[in-house]
Amino acid sequence: MRKLVEVKLENIVKTFGETVALKGIDLHIKHGELFTLLGPSGCGKSTTLRIIAGLDFPDSGRIFFDDQEVTYLSSSERGAVLVFQNYALWPHMTVYDNIAYGLKIRKLPKEEIERKVKWALQLVKLEGFEDRYPTQLSGGQQQRVAIARAIVVEPKLLLLDEPLSNLDAKLRLEMRSEIRRIQRELGITVLYVTHDQEEAMAISDRIAVMNVGTVEQIGTPREIYEKPKTEFVASFMGKTNVIPAKVVERHGDKVTVEFEHFRLEGLTYTDKSDKVVIVIRPERISLHPIENAVKLEGKVDLIEYYGFFIEVVGMFGETRIIARTISDKDVMGLRPQGPVAFYINKDDILVLPKQL
Amino acid sequence: MKVSKWSERLFGTPLFEPLVSFSYLFPLLYIVVFLIVPVLAMLAIAFRHEGHFSLYWFKSILTSSYYVQFPPRGDFAIKTVTATGETVYLIRGIDFGVVINSLVVAALVTLLASLMGTIFAFIMARYDFRGKNFFRIALFIPLLVTPFVNAYVIKKMFLDTGLINYIFYELLHILPFRIKIDGLAGVVLAQAMTYYPIVYLNAYASFINIDPTLEEQAENLGSKGFHLFRTVTFPLALPGIAAGATLVFIFSLEDLAAPIVFQGDPLAKKLMSYQIFSKFLYGLGERSPEIAALSILMLTLAVLAFLGIRKYVSLRQYAMLSKGGRWKPRVSKPRPWQAAIIYVVLLPLLLFTIFPQIGVVLLAFSKQWSVTVMPQGFTTEYVKQMLFNPDVRRYIINSLMYSAAAVVLIILLSVTSSYATSRFKGILTPVLESLVIIPIAVPGIVVAMGYFYFFSQVFPDTPLDPTNIFNFNPAFVLILAYSIRRLPFSARSVYAGLQQVHVSLEEASMNLGASRWKTITGILLPLISLNVFGGAMLSFVYSMSETSVGITLGSLNMQYAPITAFMKDIMMSAAGSAQLAAALGVLLITVQILSIVLVNIITKQRYAFIGLT
Repeated sequence: MRKLVEVKLENIVKTFGETVALKGIDLHIKHGELFTLLGPSGCGKSTTLRIIAGLDFPDSGRIFFDDQEVTYLSSSERGAVLVFQNYALWPHMTVYDNIAYGLKIRKLPKEEIERKVKWALQLVKLEGFEDRYPTQLSGGQQQRVAIARAIVVEPKLLLLDEPLSNLDAKLRLEMRSEIRRIQRELGITVLYVTHDQEEAMAISDRIAVMNVGTVEQIGTPREIYEKPKTEFVASFMGKTNVIPAKVVERHGDKVTVEFEHFRLEGLTYTDKSDKVVIVIRPERISLHPIENAVKLEGKVDLIEYYGFFIEVVGMFGETRIIARTISDKDVMGLRPQGPVAFYINKDDILVLPKQL
Repeated sequence: MKVSKWSERLFGTPLFEPLVSFSYLFPLLYIVVFLIVPVLAMLAIAFRHEGHFSLYWFKSILTSSYYVQFPPRGDFAIKTVTATGETVYLIRGIDFGVVINSLVVAALVTLLASLMGTIFAFIMARYDFRGKNFFRIALFIPLLVTPFVNAYVIKKMFLDTGLINYIFYELLHILPFRIKIDGLAGVVLAQAMTYYPIVYLNAYASFINIDPTLEEQAENLGSKGFHLFRTVTFPLALPGIAAGATLVFIFSLEDLAAPIVFQGDPLAKKLMSYQIFSKFLYGLGERSPEIAALSILMLTLAVLAFLGIRKYVSLRQYAMLSKGGRWKPRVSKPRPWQAAIIYVVLLPLLLFTIFPQIGVVLLAFSKQWSVTVMPQGFTTEYVKQMLFNPDVRRYIINSLMYSAAAVVLIILLSVTSSYATSRFKGILTPVLESLVIIPIAVPGIVVAMGYFYFFSQVFPDTPLDPTNIFNFNPAFVLILAYSIRRLPFSARSVYAGLQQVHVSLEEASMNLGASRWKTITGILLPLISLNVFGGAMLSFVYSMSETSVGITLGSLNMQYAPITAFMKDIMMSAAGSAQLAAALGVLLITVQILSIVLVNIITKQRYAFIGLT
């Protein structure tokens, strides 16, 4: 059984010229975990990945693989193998030679190289493609070769940089489960980078959400989605309502907040700042009365039909709030500019401090 | 591995790696030692008089009427009448003094070459007409370098008994009198005819790189014809045209072949390049520091032109990325009046400009060429002499060996410097980038003089000392000069190749455990081998035809002289037969054509031969 690695990042800082790419990143990736760095482009997730791969070096901070410090170990000595976003297959080598490259560097006997390449090709379901050149392969096949080339050397840590971004939508879903399958089969530690929150939720054991060089929140997909800790995380994880509001009363950790002419009482909030946002997922808003719910009355602005769900955009004063339903009945009586009522369970209303 | 702040600052990588340092330092030190230091050595001499820092030599040059002459002397054209009663106008140009003459000549050549080059580039890029492929090939022909001989043919063309008078005076009666062009006017014509394809190539590349949608949008908004050209097409192509024009300016400034060929008229000698050359060659033993001062003046002009254009072009790096959609080249059939211009004006002009190369070939196989329109008689004597006379063969072998040795150095320099500058971003990166391109801006004669002072001071009384009359062996010095002067051709090609290879291909290799050496040899070099090959061929071809250093330092010991030094000797001596020089010219043309064909077949791409940016 291969030896899995635990990865620790301590206060990693990286600047490029004037711009600070990473402002002190701390991460702890556990043995055999599929860990995802999620964030918009420019948030520093790829830089973090390259620093872990040894392709870039931090200005300060330390990196540990298990108990060994690897901060300034060169990429070739590190054993953290990266699958590049553009696959980086060598066009002058066949599929076989591409996959065998790392094994040859390790000076394995020829028979063993052959056996391992065969095993890797089987794993990514590309038997029989040994003699093709990368240009003769489809995007999905190139991606599989890139993964095979990385896992064949039995890396301590597999790094995947937006591996699905160059594939079309259908293939993306297929490769997503494929990567998850391979990771489970090998029980390997994987660090995955993506900007696609849906992809991250589907594939990850844990997710770190990054924004402008900092980690905003680390947690399981469910925690991140349901209990976002910051406004950024809440708004980044799918379409949601983020409504600026004000704390007007406090009783311990229960507060009353106000937006427009609405007063919402008994919400949980502990931060000191009185400038807040309230976050409500559209699918948690009901269009028919439910028990223990806050009722908001407003006007219909738009009704948008998406196929498997329908969205109703309501105007509450100047504030737009989106509700989502899967039931045609819910929208039957509604018409643009007509009255509408949204019902929201207090447990589904999140109050977070306003970010700049 | 150790972390080094030094390495991070200088080389852009915090891990100190010997291979990366070598890639930076080898080309850097090489260019500094063999280009910058020799030029500085010359600077030290030019600014020294009677043991002190002094502007004496520059003052003496700039205040002498020989060098700066206002108002100019002489008549632009002189009317004479021959014994048969025919009127001949002799056109020589007027004399502003050596320094100003050089500037005027270079400016006129640049203007003429830019005009011709841009017009040809525009019709080639925008019109589809019968015979376009002939134009395409013919426009390459003036670029085939045959030092001295093609200027010699041009001189013959413009004699009162030459081809031009034959066609326009005798046949077509367009000219009411005969003309004879000599002196500075001859130099201007010879250089403009030789160098305009440099502008053509750069301008053509610019025209076809303009995103067609930019012109289509302008048309769509109502612009057309010359207005469209003036407001959209031309401004977008201008950086390319200007880059080509600057090269022509520098080439004209440093050219020795045309002044040497036209030296029968004393006015043609009044150019900076010729003055440096003759003062050097005839000032045996002690050379006057005036040579160094003149060289510095010339270098200053060339470098100013070069820096000016780099600044201008970098200010106008228009992003020409098409956002989706396919480029449909904007090529149309010429309208009747445009076709008339193409066939009645441009075609004859093109034929005239390729005549020198045709003339060289004819001359190589002719018995004599005195006052006739074409060379007379047929003989293979001179070609045989070239191939079988051991003395002549020696020059060819010398040139081949020096060029081959220089190319080996050039490949090493190009690969290391391009690797360093394209893959790392340390503070040395822009320094190295500039150093690699700067040899274009340094006139060959300036390199020659710099080497003369440098090697005679640093290695006195050794075979490397040019003042060591009996023992000087120019081989080493010439190889160095070639490797510096012809480096930019290769370096550009290799750099372009490296930019095509995504850096992740190398990162993937190192990430899988390969060393940097293994990554370079196993991944990178195979992927850029064609660029290395193309660049090396280019450097080789232009090393073979290198003139300035070859005919100065190279001719100090004829035993080891290159082919161009021998050609110069033939052309300068009254007894020499131009036919033998022409035969050598044919040999050079053959080498050049073979190389171009080989490069085109192997790399499957058309090579832009000379460029600046």
